[in-house]
Amino acid sequence: MHFFYLGLTALGAAAFFVGLGQDAGRAWHNYLLNYFFWFSLSISGLFFIALSYVTTSQWASPLKRVPEALTGFLPVAFVLLLILFAGSHHLYEWTHHEAVAGDPLLSGKRGYLNMPFFVIRNLLFFVLWIGVAFYLIRNSLRQDRTGAVELTFKNKKVSAPFLVLFGITFTLASFDLLMSLEPHWFSTIFGVYCFAGLFESGMAITILFVLALRRQGALRGVINENHLHDLGKLMFAFCVFWAYIAFSQYMLIWYGNLPEETPYMIRRTEGSWTPVALALLFGKFIVPFFLLLSRWAKRNEFFLALVAVWVLVFQYLDIYWIVFPTVGAPAFGWMELGILLGFLGLFVLSVTAVLQRIPPVARRDPWLEEGLSYHQ
Amino acid sequence: MNLSSKLLGIVAVFKDPYHLLRAAGEAQRRQFKHCDAFTPYPVHGLDKLLGIKRSLIPWVTLVFGLAGCLGGLGLQIWTSAVAWPLNIGGKPFLSIPAFIPITFECTVLLGGLATFAALLMFCRLPNYHTRALDKEITNDAFALYISAKEEGFREGDVREFLEKSGAYEIKMVE
Repeated sequence: MHFFYLGLTALGAAAFFVGLGQDAGRAWHNYLLNYFFWFSLSISGLFFIALSYVTTSQWASPLKRVPEALTGFLPVAFVLLLILFAGSHHLYEWTHHEAVAGDPLLSGKRGYLNMPFFVIRNLLFFVLWIGVAFYLIRNSLRQDRTGAVELTFKNKKVSAPFLVLFGITFTLASFDLLMSLEPHWFSTIFGVYCFAGLFESGMAITILFVLALRRQGALRGVINENHLHDLGKLMFAFCVFWAYIAFSQYMLIWYGNLPEETPYMIRRTEGSWTPVALALLFGKFIVPFFLLLSRWAKRNEFFLALVAVWVLVFQYLDIYWIVFPTVGAPAFGWMELGILLGFLGLFVLSVTAVLQRIPPVARRDPWLEEGLSYHQ
Repeated sequence: MNLSSKLLGIVAVFKDPYHLLRAAGEAQRRQFKHCDAFTPYPVHGLDKLLGIKRSLIPWVTLVFGLAGCLGGLGLQIWTSAVAWPLNIGGKPFLSIPAFIPITFECTVLLGGLATFAALLMFCRLPNYHTRALDKEITNDAFALYISAKEEGFREGDVREFLEKSGAYEIKMVE
């Protein structure tokens, strides 16, 4: 199986390099799209662990190794970010000095949108994320050996301020990577919009990994349908939350009708982008809302996995819809597919590399017993 | 002084949920269908032993929520685009985005109220009778009521299994 994912990674790298030669702009936009998609999935694991500690989510302790392993992609994402900096000239208009000099609005934003500050703050975000992930997981693994209860409290103490810092840093990262693609445009809710997709798709990938591990036997007898039910509920909740935030952003821009805000939505809802915008409305909200509405749907392994894949597909489309209108009309060819598969391979490789090195169940977690006998 | 009153059922009062569950299990083995339990908080597994099916309340919520959604949207479309077209801020008469917040509120309002009404109806609330079974029922006691109408109901047998399950008080309801 390793070779399959290694092959995918190689395929993605090949697609990217061939793409760079043919249409560098499109290749870099694909790179950014996939970077943000897979990075969000990875950091959703860190967010979920911290959230579980703060809220004493004992039900989640039997499955906590999955979100812990998701963060295994963070160091890889760090390297990918360094590569992304190399493509910033193809992505971000504000890196073009002549364009900025001739544009009073962009000149005014130069204090924030300039390359050195952009690089420094994004590197600092990663220092925070990787540092906290390392701390939480090291304590969690140490607890496997010592069983020390105070490690749980230590993690709790770090998780609470981290959640606040995460909100700020992820918002700024989404501003930097995605919103600054259209540097004239701004939306204060943009970070929350990206976060809603992050948590929804994060639940989807967690469900898929939990089910895969249960099927392989590592979590058999540990995870029951009540755990799936709760993961499904969270995915459902954030499907609704995304719709709420997405509509809040859209409606204020539509109602206010201000020339500095509308071009973003006009570019994304008119012409050839209309079907994509409608696909998001139906595919990211209405369809999964009704699919996940019933209790049965969230407790059925096969059905829940199907919806999780659906959610991931539309999360990809959502970021596609944010990134690609700056390039042109919607198109999905070998370059999109190849680079997507490449990132998929890299993501699965790095997450399974962690999963293979750590015990699948946190044996001596003081919350484990509550979590194992979880029912409702 | 016997007024020859008819036995309606038997109430057993327990001090903890474990004994109540044991008694409910006995009742289930006798295939009693109209048992009712009174607990100060939800007890896991009790609904299964008592043979209580999933509630219909979610369906009520769904139907009334959808009715509120379509009704709210329809009302706005009819009033602002059909019956009395009004130019507001130069927007088209049929401006769906402007109608969504109210549509959402109507969905939540109607769905919520219907859920509350359905809850009262399905639970037959308000109810002043069950407290009369034992005054501790709404406080800290766990009670099981077994109706005399059950098929295979024999007073001696029921009394015996309730006692064996650990009831600290057994009362005849007449």
